[in-house]
Amino acid sequence: MKAPDSLFRRLLLWLLLPLLALGALMLVQAYLDARRTADRAFDRLLEASSQAIAEQVQWQDERLWLDLPPAALEMLATDAEERVFYALYDDDGEFITGNARLPGDPRSDDISGEAMYYDDVQWQDLALRQGVRRTRLEDWRQREGFEVRVAHTREGRERLTWRLFLGNMAYIGAMAVLAIAVLLLAVRSALRPLTRLRRAIRRRDPRTLAPLELPLPRELAELRETLNELLARMRRVRANQERFIGDASHQLRTPLAGLSARAELALRQDNPEVWRAALQAMQTTSASTARLAVQLLSLTRLNNPEATPELSALDLNDIARQAVRNAWNRCHRDGIDIGVDVCDSPVTIDGIDWQLEEALSNLIDNAGRYGATHITVRVNATPPELVVEDNGPGIPAEQRLLVLRPFHRGEESGDGSGLGLAIVDGIARTHGARLRLDDARHESGLCVTLRFPAPTPTETKQ
Amino acid sequence: MSLLLVEDDALLADTLGDALRLEGHDVVTIDDGDRAHDVLSLPDHGHELILLDLNLPGRGGLDVLATLRTHDGETPVLILTARGAVEDRVRGLDLGADDYLAKPFALDELEARVRALLRRHARGGPLQVGSLTFDSVTQRFTLDGESLALPPREQRLLTCLMSHAGEPVDKARLVQEAFADDAVGDNAIEVYIHRLRRRLRGSRIDLRTVRGLGYLLESS
Repeated sequence: MKAPDSLFRRLLLWLLLPLLALGALMLVQAYLDARRTADRAFDRLLEASSQAIAEQVQWQDERLWLDLPPAALEMLATDAEERVFYALYDDDGEFITGNARLPGDPRSDDISGEAMYYDDVQWQDLALRQGVRRTRLEDWRQREGFEVRVAHTREGRERLTWRLFLGNMAYIGAMAVLAIAVLLLAVRSALRPLTRLRRAIRRRDPRTLAPLELPLPRELAELRETLNELLARMRRVRANQERFIGDASHQLRTPLAGLSARAELALRQDNPEVWRAALQAMQTTSASTARLAVQLLSLTRLNNPEATPELSALDLNDIARQAVRNAWNRCHRDGIDIGVDVCDSPVTIDGIDWQLEEALSNLIDNAGRYGATHITVRVNATPPELVVEDNGPGIPAEQRLLVLRPFHRGEESGDGSGLGLAIVDGIARTHGARLRLDDARHESGLCVTLRFPAPTPTETKQ
Repeated sequence: MSLLLVEDDALLADTLGDALRLEGHDVVTIDDGDRAHDVLSLPDHGHELILLDLNLPGRGGLDVLATLRTHDGETPVLILTARGAVEDRVRGLDLGADDYLAKPFALDELEARVRALLRRHARGGPLQVGSLTFDSVTQRFTLDGESLALPPREQRLLTCLMSHAGEPVDKARLVQEAFADDAVGDNAIEVYIHRLRRRLRGSRIDLRTVRGLGYLLESS
């Protein structure tokens, strides 16, 4: 799990990040709650103390006066040893008495009533919590409003806040530790089948293509099924290859046996005529064996799903011309008339040039081998087609599917390898083209058509 | 000047060497890639044609070819390979080979290619196809020992066909060669070919039509 991108890490990251964010949010919330609770508790003291003070305000000598009851201030100084302040103001905001000129209620004077007003104030570098009570003194002589302001420093509040907060924090921390532990366990247990799968694959004999059999949770079971399908396909490919290799080795062994037998026989005799005949036979056989080897190689390469080259835009006219140019010398030597019949404008398709040339070369070769004396390679534009037409014996309709199979031969007398058309078929499939075998148009003979899918619309075609 | 044959299979090297010597060439044979590389990296290796196998012990044939082409773009190279696929031919030609022959091949075919390559790369020497020769210095043709006077276009056409004797030459190529920039149709070339044929009539030189492709000059 040390890989730079591990599922374990990814899961953990995505689960832990929100958890941490949530934890941080809870801590902030806990602190604010603790503070609010502490404030509410201590504000009660401010209220009680201001009440006690207000009750002692009297009318004396034509003005308001206060005899401060000591208990009123004592209740504000808890065992945290806060500093305590009070002040009495009249209706006009004039300081009457007190031990500090506290800032008071900044709200407009119109708001009155018995409600207490609390706020946090800064007074002479001290952070204070202040309570302001507006009330009035009423008797038969006078009706006079006044304000009692009491305040104390925050030590007691902070101590309570901190105590409440610590209690909450321990609770949240315990929850977090528990959650992370459960998370780790969950992720680990969720990923354990993956480890099992990996081990099962690693333990396998690299040569076996048997399906994987182990119980897995659903998501991984799908992966296992996909792997098994792949393995099944590979089994089929391998069976195919084994059959092909068997055929191929048989096909190669037979002419080699012939060659060596022929040479042995010729060496037993002393007649140059016999040698000459043997040499000629051996030349023919070795040439066709060599060709067989070449074709086996190209068929193997075509059937190799790992090596599919990229298709690129090409002109069928060029392919046809090049194939005929390549084949001309050989055909000319064998007395075969070969020609090409191309379109006036380019016929563009997506394909692999060397494969198409190889297909044409195989078709031309086949035609010549089976007795054609006149071969035409034609290009059609719509739909894009490569056609090889000859005047040879042709192939009966019922055999046309069979001849596409490797090592099948149209007639046993021919000296072909039986691979030519299989190769062409393979190339056609690579190109998504349809391979059709018909009678030639005008005379006896075979007409092989490779019909390509229409080119992609971006390409211009006249 | 000699031909250099780089081929590691002893039987094939001996046979090809003998066949080419019978044709009257000097042949030097090398059987591994590293030695071929050493010889061909010399600025003046002294070979007029190189027959190069691709699958060599030591350095591969394509490597040798690439080295040669870094300093020598002239000497013709004919690639011989058992890999066979057209794919390899394309790679070889891209690297600067002049022709390509897949094993197995007929000796006839090899000899014809060698002749064609030597003819095409003859430096200033006379072109010769059978009894037809062209002296590039005097710009004069000789057919069966007699001088053959040709108008300029026919002369350019015949020179082009002679330098590619034995292989089909595209009509388009001939049009470009004979008429240069004049925009004439493919059909005009047929008139000139017809005239050339009349002039060659009675000799052993054939000017053949390759259906749909072009023309080919050969000595029968």
